[in-house]
Amino acid sequence: MNPEMAMRVIKAENLTITYDGKPALEGVNFSLDEGETLLLLGPNGAGKTTLLRTIACFHREYRGKLEVFGKEPCGARELIGYVPQSHSLNERVPLTALEVVAMGGIYRYGFAHFKIPRETLMKAEEVLGFVGLGHVKDRLFRELSGGQKQRVLLARALMSDPRLLLLDEPLSALDPSARAEVAGVLNKIKRERGITMVITTHDINPLLEVGDRVMLINKRLIAFGRPEEVLQDSVIKSVYGPLARVIPVEGKLFCITGDVHIHRHGGGGL
Amino acid sequence: MIPEYLLRALLASIMVSVLLGMLSPLINTKGLAFLTHALFHALLFGAVLGMIFGLLFENLALVMLTALIVTVTIVLLIAHLEKLGFSPDSAVGIVASFVAGLTVLGFGVLYKVMATRPYFPLGESIVSYLTGDIFLISLNSLTVLVLGGAFLFFVMLFLYRDFLYLSFDPEGMESYGGNVRAYLMVLYVLVGAIGTLIVQTVGLITLQVVAVLPGAIALMVSSDLRKVIGVSLLLTLGIQLSSVVLAYLTDIPPSGLATIMLGVIYGVLLFRR
Ligand SMILES: Nc1ncnc2c1ncn2[C@@H]1O[C@H](COP(=O)(O)OP(=O)(O)O)[C@@H](O)[C@H]1O
Ligand SMILES: [Mg+2]
Repeated sequence: MNPEMAMRVIKAENLTITYDGKPALEGVNFSLDEGETLLLLGPNGAGKTTLLRTIACFHREYRGKLEVFGKEPCGARELIGYVPQSHSLNERVPLTALEVVAMGGIYRYGFAHFKIPRETLMKAEEVLGFVGLGHVKDRLFRELSGGQKQRVLLARALMSDPRLLLLDEPLSALDPSARAEVAGVLNKIKRERGITMVITTHDINPLLEVGDRVMLINKRLIAFGRPEEVLQDSVIKSVYGPLARVIPVEGKLFCITGDVHIHRHGGGGL
Repeated sequence: MIPEYLLRALLASIMVSVLLGMLSPLINTKGLAFLTHALFHALLFGAVLGMIFGLLFENLALVMLTALIVTVTIVLLIAHLEKLGFSPDSAVGIVASFVAGLTVLGFGVLYKVMATRPYFPLGESIVSYLTGDIFLISLNSLTVLVLGGAFLFFVMLFLYRDFLYLSFDPEGMESYGGNVRAYLMVLYVLVGAIGTLIVQTVGLITLQVVAVLPGAIALMVSSDLRKVIGVSLLLTLGIQLSSVVLAYLTDIPPSGLATIMLGVIYGVLLFRR
């Protein structure tokens, strides 16, 4: 496809995001086209969540230019699906997987939602099936495995038919096989639905298959480009320290950033 | 033959139980215990202020009206402070300290006003406010309790799922188009209004316990939402009704009995874990 023809989904020019006037992330330039997946990489406190939340219009304090689908972020809200880090959820609330998914579809209309409409329930079942969880729809969310929870949250985000998905550390706190399981679903979303995605992660390896672009930040933009451009020893070392390395294995890149364990099983990895 | 005042008390406790039984799981899952703490101060201040007005204008209906306005205002003030970035605990701390001071000042004024209206029958109300006076509930108060309670119950029922989603993931709710601030406001106002409505039957001292423990117990013994609400409702109903009957037989205030029973159940469950 001619890259000039693709729709520009995100465009940031000289973007500086601040909290109470103090910059958390400075001087960011990048753009992302429709259908592309961006892997957002950086150590703790680098500003990954901050950037995602700004794109999603949760945080509005920034300078410079930020366009989402050619508009201000808050003007594009209906096109965005945001998947928060799962530890920010209050699991004391006894909701079933299906109820969690339905949540993504009922706030387009009405104020009181005592009963979930039938169409919403049917759609919720369909997207749960899409992420491979049709069989756990009546199970309590908090009793699911980490990988299943993350897939439920993905399904919830799909309920509004978003054209941009923002995912905050969908792989954190998961064991290697669950990481592969979630990465597999992300791949499926990209292939079958063509949804543009921004995914923050500490462990880039399971996601290399899905990523078209990689961005490395640490309070400012360190590098942005195609995976093989960004994932170079010198670039990685400048952020993660001298022990970080990039190793090519069987034609694929492999990143060791110190806070990540290497794993090779599970299919979706590498 | 059951005496009429006992019938009134039983009816009042059914209404109270339905409201608290529904609300209690929400208070627990949303972590609103801090709000019931603030409610304690707000209700006491509202009552004192209400009695001052009630005496000045010689109209007892002003007591509850003032309490309602004061409580809802204070609850909204706390919500506003939270929005400005204070933690719930510090928001309550800030507001409670002012309100507590005002309450003490209010008592001074109240005694002065009471001295000027010796003929007006308000003498017992402050104490009965603290311990609850379910056997003294007038037909008027009962009507207000039942009608107001039914209204608040239906508001809560229709928004119950939204309140659950609000507790589960406010950010997610907002990103899918829900108005988090509006739901939060309605929930806070509901808690304030329910508190005002039932405080005279439940008693201010024990209100926090009967609002928090049934939900906490229900969440301990079951995890399915329907069961949680069911257990909380049945528990509150059982406790309230039996405490009224026991109080009738023993002359101990029912609010004290209800609180002790809840405490025992909660303690046993904790111990068995
Ligand atoms: N609500 C906030 N108020 C003030 N500073 C914040 C807030 N949230 C994040 N920060 C700061 O912004 C920086 C980036 O944080 P964050 O985006 O959460 O990093 P990451 O997600 O990469 O770990 C950190 O220094 C953090 O302290
Ligand atoms: Mg983060």
